[in-house]
Amino acid sequence: MRETIQIIDSQSGLPIDAEIFDEITLEHFIETQADWRPVVLDAARALSKDPNRATLIPRHYHWDWTRKEAELKMLALKFYGISCQGHLQGIMKVDTVARSCRLPEQQGKPLVYIDYIETAPWNIKLLMEPLGKRQQYRGVGSRLFEAAVLQSEEEGFKGRLGLHSLPGSEGFYVKECGMTPVGRDPHKQNLLWCEFTPEQSRRYLAGE
Amino acid sequence: MKFNTDRKWLERRAEQEDRHFISVGGLISTLDPTCETEVASPPSVETTKTAFVRLLQLARRERRLTLEKLAEKADVDLAELLKIETDETFTPGLRTVHQLGLTLDLPAKKLMVLAGLLQVKDPHLQQASVRFAARSEPIGNVSPEEHAALEEYVKFLNER
Repeated sequence: MRETIQIIDSQSGLPIDAEIFDEITLEHFIETQADWRPVVLDAARALSKDPNRATLIPRHYHWDWTRKEAELKMLALKFYGISCQGHLQGIMKVDTVARSCRLPEQQGKPLVYIDYIETAPWNIKLLMEPLGKRQQYRGVGSRLFEAAVLQSEEEGFKGRLGLHSLPGSEGFYVKECGMTPVGRDPHKQNLLWCEFTPEQSRRYLAGE
Repeated sequence: MKFNTDRKWLERRAEQEDRHFISVGGLISTLDPTCETEVASPPSVETTKTAFVRLLQLARRERRLTLEKLAEKADVDLAELLKIETDETFTPGLRTVHQLGLTLDLPAKKLMVLAGLLQVKDPHLQQASVRFAARSEPIGNVSPEEHAALEEYVKFLNER
């Protein structure tokens, strides 16, 4: 799968063509390591100097993509990437088997589980601001999230979607995307389990 | 997949995204050693692992590089390099193997297979790896026989 989509070029404020694809290779992981990490570290250093913002440093940045490359071969898992101007701008991993719905009205039904989303650090406004820089592209994470909803529809899961949100992301998934905060998961570092019903995902796609 | 083509929709979603980090929790489990069961284990590859270690050792020695010099040239951690050469049960990081491949002029992807980082069913590779491991010694100077074995094995890896 490889499709042209649009994201926003922050410099011009205009939409720009990008590609979303699911043929993620080891080279993409290496690219995230080599290109993303130094920028992330710079931003983390800048954030850590400000005690009010130090807690904003996302924990997942300590994680090493390369540890997960073995999963590329697993059928239940799917990786998506977005590239623009020859560079990887965001990456996502979803699982169609590992989890099922927890909301009472759809308990036990299959869903697409978003295991991981990361956008390139230069696309994250909250990271670029401390460095005195403008983010490069906007809407990358939203496009990846949209792909997960669309995959859920294609799988016959009617848009049902679930994820464990990090504390700093709960506002995005609950307030902005409209997911239901089902509850803390004691088996997953007490992270908040959020879920989409078919109606909620329809509203997300329609922009209601 | 039918992505939304409405510009206003995209603008609105981008505005929402700008106000937050959008990190998702699944992989945070890998930060916590108590959750290691969720991390996929690399495939079992004892034979290719031995060949991987011997190959690195011979290629390094043939270039007359000390471990320290190789770590410096490849920009990898010396302690990890030492661990690779002395502990065959150790699984090196992907970046390390990639860097070593570049520095020693060895095919990086094949090295990843040998190191157990990538799974590929290839009986010929297994046989060639066993043969190579048996014909090479981990210490001492590179003998003419070892040199021949090294050349033959690298040629095999590059051809496949």
